[in-house]
Amino acid sequence: MNGLIINEEFLQQLETLQTLVKNNVAGLFGGNHQTKNFGSSCEFADYRDYIPGDDITKIDWNAFARFEKLYLKLFLDERQRHTRIYIDASRSMAYGKGKKDEQALKIAAALAYLSVCEMDKVSIYLIRGGVADCIISGMLGKDSYIGSIGKLNFVEFDGDACISDAILPSAVGYGDGLSVIISDFLTDNNFEDAVNFLASKRRDILCVQVLSKEELNPKARGKMHFFDSENTEKYYRKNINRDIMRAYKEALEFVQSRISSLCHSRGADYMLVSADDSVFEIFFNKLINMGVVK
Amino acid sequence: MSFLYPLGLLGLIGVPILIIIYIIKNKYTESVIASTYIWTLSEKFLKRRLPINKFVGIISLILQILAVIFISVAVAHPVLTLPNSANDYLFVLDGSGSMNITRDDKTRLDFAKEEIAEIIEDSANGSAYSLIFAGETPNVIFDKITDKDYALLLLGKIAPAYTSAGFTDTLGAAQKYFNDNSSILTYFVTDKEVEPSENVQIINVSGGEENYAVTDVAYSFANSDNFGKLTVTGSLVSYESDAELEIKLFLNGNAEPAYEQKADVKKLQSAPFAFVCEETNFESLKVVITNKDALAMDNEAVVYNVEYENSYKVLLVSDTPFFMTALLQSVGNASVKTVSTETYSKTAEEAVKGRDLCIFDTYTPEVLPDKAAIWFINPQQSVAKSGFTVQNEIEKTVGVKADYTNSTKTIYKTLLRDVLKEDVYIKKYQKCRLDRKDFLTLVSCDDNPLIFTGTNEYRNREVVFAFKLNDTNLAPVMDFITLSRNLLDYMFPTVIDESSYYSGETLQVNVTANCDSIRLESPSGKISYLDTSSAVSEVKLTEVGTYTVTLMSGETARVFRVYSALPEEERIPAVKSEAFSLVGEAGTEKRDGVYDDLMILFILLALIFAADWMVYCYEQYQLR
Repeated sequence: MNGLIINEEFLQQLETLQTLVKNNVAGLFGGNHQTKNFGSSCEFADYRDYIPGDDITKIDWNAFARFEKLYLKLFLDERQRHTRIYIDASRSMAYGKGKKDEQALKIAAALAYLSVCEMDKVSIYLIRGGVADCIISGMLGKDSYIGSIGKLNFVEFDGDACISDAILPSAVGYGDGLSVIISDFLTDNNFEDAVNFLASKRRDILCVQVLSKEELNPKARGKMHFFDSENTEKYYRKNINRDIMRAYKEALEFVQSRISSLCHSRGADYMLVSADDSVFEIFFNKLINMGVVK
Repeated sequence: MSFLYPLGLLGLIGVPILIIIYIIKNKYTESVIASTYIWTLSEKFLKRRLPINKFVGIISLILQILAVIFISVAVAHPVLTLPNSANDYLFVLDGSGSMNITRDDKTRLDFAKEEIAEIIEDSANGSAYSLIFAGETPNVIFDKITDKDYALLLLGKIAPAYTSAGFTDTLGAAQKYFNDNSSILTYFVTDKEVEPSENVQIINVSGGEENYAVTDVAYSFANSDNFGKLTVTGSLVSYESDAELEIKLFLNGNAEPAYEQKADVKKLQSAPFAFVCEETNFESLKVVITNKDALAMDNEAVVYNVEYENSYKVLLVSDTPFFMTALLQSVGNASVKTVSTETYSKTAEEAVKGRDLCIFDTYTPEVLPDKAAIWFINPQQSVAKSGFTVQNEIEKTVGVKADYTNSTKTIYKTLLRDVLKEDVYIKKYQKCRLDRKDFLTLVSCDDNPLIFTGTNEYRNREVVFAFKLNDTNLAPVMDFITLSRNLLDYMFPTVIDESSYYSGETLQVNVTANCDSIRLESPSGKISYLDTSSAVSEVKLTEVGTYTVTLMSGETARVFRVYSALPEEERIPAVKSEAFSLVGEAGTEKRDGVYDDLMILFILLALIFAADWMVYCYEQYQLR
């Protein structure tokens, strides 16, 4: 990797990003997040009948005066969330001129920053083989962020990655925040189980597929013999013409729609990102449009 | 199918070369990419293609090979043979003078050529074409050629003749073609009304055009009422209708007519005319019909004065010129200009300019004229390049008898023809020494040459009388006149006897004794040189207009002009002619035709495939 990805300049951009986000949108990930559960916040949520044993301090006496029946006043609960970011660290993310690895790290850093600003905890995992290796754990607050995020500069992308094998055994929490999977998803390995698993754990899910410009719109023509960067025994040998290019486009659309369908069916979000897209474009256009960022 | 240039098929060597290059060059480009996942997956989305689509990968090679094949075949010029579809054609084209008659700004010859060209163009490829042009003599322009374009090219180059055409020889030539191949299709293209003919198709290109002509123009000075005055006579003819013709007479090349008159002319009736002029002499005259018609060249007749043409210009340098002037005017056709010795000494160069003969009487010029014949009478001293030297004057106390030469040589006989050789006595003379061997001494005294002739160093003829005419009894006697006439005739013989001819007639030019060359310039500017080895040189006049004859004698040039007119029979717009029949039974054999326009097709195909290949390459480039 040439130079540092998470450098001073990038951090300044993130600061700007936070300011812009705050000025222009209502909030980010809910801030001090109100959960669907009732709790002890100041924000009224609902009434319910009093049940013996309930805290009598929460009885709404005004309502009793009106209806001559005891009602308990309910308030929304507020909890600290834990954002878990999983980065596909296989060789395919780093091979060639695509800079998918840089884009993946930048997205992870940006998401982590925005979470930290909302006083959420952030953990970042690298998926290598069938293992989710936590390189930043429970990062909380900007000071912690500044101190830890630089580790992303030293991430090496190598080998292959099995997303499901890595996430399923790991501690993913339960209903306490957002899980982000950043990968090119160009693999036969199972990742559907990971999405299902996270969904079953009632976590918010965001799948970010990062593809290079060459993968989105290949320029290769004529007789080509492609070797797979992760496994050189895998190859593709064809005279690439218009028909094959047409089939490639269809295959790419198929892959995207397959991930997208899976995510939608599980209440998860899916975002396709080009390695050449700027972080600002990703956050302002794509994530806001998708409603991930509010 | 055959090929005109089979070597062109060598280009097919390019096909295996292309294939070899394709095989050598056609390798897979290896590359490591992030993931082959989508590529591999794309196999499932690949549409099942038609078997022909397997060739898509080598479409570039196929296009190149096709382009090379078609280029090679086009270069080889493929020709398709079509059995028994072509003919042999023989065209007999009338080239007589009447074919110059015009209609709608085109001559009959042009119309005839168009007719022939149309037949050639409509004929099947592979046909053979022959053409006999019946001009002054039959001339085979092309013989059994199969190339249409070449035949048309040669046809286009045929120029009209101005003579009458005898068809006897032409018929013989056509009969020979017919004998060789009785299936030959013979066309006789003419403006004559030919009687029905066997084995020949007659194409008549005449159109009843209007034509007038002036004929039989002559001149005389002997009219009884106007003796000595020029009288020009002739006849007018209108061949197609009665007409009122206006005629003008131009004299001596002037642009303005000297006389003009009108005449009513009945169809095909000769109408005589006469111009009685005030002039007593002329150089040339031209009678012109000003009415427009289809044949302009018979609307004028030019006559050159033969006497004028044959006359010579004499410069007489003498202080007592009367006797010599009278002599020259009586014995020769001379135009004499006389200058005194004093005047000549001042204006010598100007005086001799344009003179055919210079006579120096008792005077010796400082410089001998180099472009004229010379006569010396009583030369006083020697002059450079004259060929003789004056030594001293010899004076006798009494006249002594001079002697005529006894030589029997032809030249002496010619020069002394009709000379009676009466006794000649002389009292005083100049003793001369002859420095050039070609001098002939006609009269001598005491072995000293008295009258001698030869050529000087300028190769101009020279005559010397080495005595003063007063010092001899020769001048008053007849022999002197006869001798002078002989000498002048010898130096300036009549070169042309006639100045008016018809095209096709023969011009006779008398070759003078000292003539080096005779140059003939035709009306169209063609220059030829006549034979000077015989006494009379002949040449056939084949054009209409003025011929210029130039005789060169040393540095001296004498110019004569004769006029050649269109023959009278060629002026008649519609002439009936005998049948032009070929003897024999016509055959039905045909020759194999060819279709040789395939080359264009192959060129087009080659271009299409080459263009297609380029477009394909461009598309591939754009897709990268």
